[in-house]
Amino acid sequence: MKILIVEDDASLSEIIHRALVAEGYVVETASTFFEADSKLAGYSYDCILLDVMLPDGSGLHLLEHLRALGKRENVIIISARDSVEDKVAGLEFGADDYLPKPFHTAELLARVKSVLRRGRTAGELSISLGNVVLKPENRVVTIGGKELSLLKKEFEILLYFMQRPSHVIDKAVLAEAVWGDYADDSDNFQFVYAQIKNLRRRLADAAATIEIVAVYGFGYKLIVKE
Amino acid sequence: MRLIYRIVVRLGIALLIIMSLWATLFYYTMVDEIRDEADDSLEDYSELIITRVLAGRALPQVGDGSNNSFTLTPVDASYVAERPHLKYEDHDFYIAEKQETEPARVLTTIFHDQQGQYYELRVATPTFEKVDLFQSILWWVVALYIVLLLITLGVTMLIFYGNMRPMYAILRWLDDYKPGVKPSPVPITADVKEFARLGRALQGAVDRSEELVERQSQFIGNASHELQTPLAIIGNRVEWLLDEGNLTDEQGAELFKIQSTLARAVRLNKTLLLLTKIENGKFPDSVQVDVARLVQDSVEMYGEIYASRQMTVQVDIEDDVKVEMNESLAATLVSNLIKNMYVHSAEGAEGRVVVGNNQLVVENDGEQTLDRDRIFDRFYQGSKSKGSMGLGLPLVAAVCRTYSLGVKYQFKAGRHCFIVDFS
Repeated sequence: MKILIVEDDASLSEIIHRALVAEGYVVETASTFFEADSKLAGYSYDCILLDVMLPDGSGLHLLEHLRALGKRENVIIISARDSVEDKVAGLEFGADDYLPKPFHTAELLARVKSVLRRGRTAGELSISLGNVVLKPENRVVTIGGKELSLLKKEFEILLYFMQRPSHVIDKAVLAEAVWGDYADDSDNFQFVYAQIKNLRRRLADAAATIEIVAVYGFGYKLIVKE
Repeated sequence: MRLIYRIVVRLGIALLIIMSLWATLFYYTMVDEIRDEADDSLEDYSELIITRVLAGRALPQVGDGSNNSFTLTPVDASYVAERPHLKYEDHDFYIAEKQETEPARVLTTIFHDQQGQYYELRVATPTFEKVDLFQSILWWVVALYIVLLLITLGVTMLIFYGNMRPMYAILRWLDDYKPGVKPSPVPITADVKEFARLGRALQGAVDRSEELVERQSQFIGNASHELQTPLAIIGNRVEWLLDEGNLTDEQGAELFKIQSTLARAVRLNKTLLLLTKIENGKFPDSVQVDVARLVQDSVEMYGEIYASRQMTVQVDIEDDVKVEMNESLAATLVSNLIKNMYVHSAEGAEGRVVVGNNQLVVENDGEQTLDRDRIFDRFYQGSKSKGSMGLGLPLVAAVCRTYSLGVKYQFKAGRHCFIVDFS
């Protein structure tokens, strides 16, 4: 899988590059409109991470060029602008997803994975890990072929972890992902803890080969048991 | 008070004073003139009689058609010594001719003949009735006042509205003006210098203010956007370290603390951006929003999140409250009020949310009243609560300002009470 990062900030570009390489992708970077444009003209990529604001042009024009060349690369826009209009504009130009800055590494990886999966397997979007298979569309989880019934929040937490396996997830980040803006600046994550506790018990009871483990006292990680 | 009413009242008062002064002056001048005439004729008459008395001729007959009358009385020297020899006065006099008493001008003359005998001659001529004259003048003055007033006001109003049209155009323009919404040009009329100046000054002020608002919002927007990339870098580097997995527990915990501080900065930045966008009217699309549903969603979510506080929150939906507004702003309004209730309550406290009568009322137990004038200010925190940035109520206020909704705070019976009026 080949990914192109179009981002003018060297430091951000480097950290995304490092994270994607660690996931096993082949990654190239471009820091200007011109550089990105010439790379896109010459090579093909499976996914492009595109910053909208480049020093010598708009990322949206790059999208236009891409579509004009008849290329059907998956594009995820990374933008500092986080408004509905910006999102709509990006998606109208043919982007597949829109990720506002600042984002979490795990979030970026999950989006890349999801976009690539969508491109590869039309329709079938299930995620499997160990003996657990999760179908986000119909909200079904099976463990070793047997269906496991989960409450709404438990399902969402499991989905979040399965999209980001073996990444450390901060309790606060998880809370925001599942409870939305409501979880903003709450000081106490008892509610997250309680849900995770239930989910862990249900997974263990169903003999799942995946496990949510606590790390460093503040976060969690989904691992596949040996 | 409208300008025209003020002009009318002032004109009326000024006219009243001028007319009263004029009527008084007119009355006295008139009285004086009439009296003067009467005195002259009395003097002539008196002279005639004296001449006749002294010449020993026959005195005129009473009833010669002149309405004049006289009495001639011989008096002694002691009577004469006490009185002036010539005296004019006004008093009622019996006119034999008419056989009635009438107001008259009376001239009393004392004279003596060659023998040294003193006579007192009183001649009288009927004059006008002062009360009648006074009333008549008063009536005419009042009539004149009213007629003059009506004519003056009519003309004034006609001229006023005719000439003030450009000012009213400017006022209408001001009524329509909303900061942040691109205004139409100020109506400037070229033919009256003052109004043209006013119009140009207003246009200049509006242009400057629009430009400042634009620049300010651009600045805040750009500053916040510029911050997003560095924030993303720090966050991702911390996450990288955490994912590497070869940290001690202390190092891991430290990194989580950095991450949580960073999350605070991210939220602060996002909220400021949101606040700026609301204040700049960047949320135009309106739909019909069901306030009760938003309340139920928020209470459910915050109930879960703040479950550890063990609060009892009662939700009373008395009747449907539907509002025409931007959906995400409505959610911001409701969720911030409800979150405020949870965040600023002690453990085990009670809260109550009432929807109905076109109002949203959010109450929670509290110890003392908050500073009503400052609670909606940015970063104002009466008592510092954990997990509060001091931007929740300013967001509520900004949304309410956008839609001209009334929002107020009360403290009664040991409860904080926020009321949003949607009507």
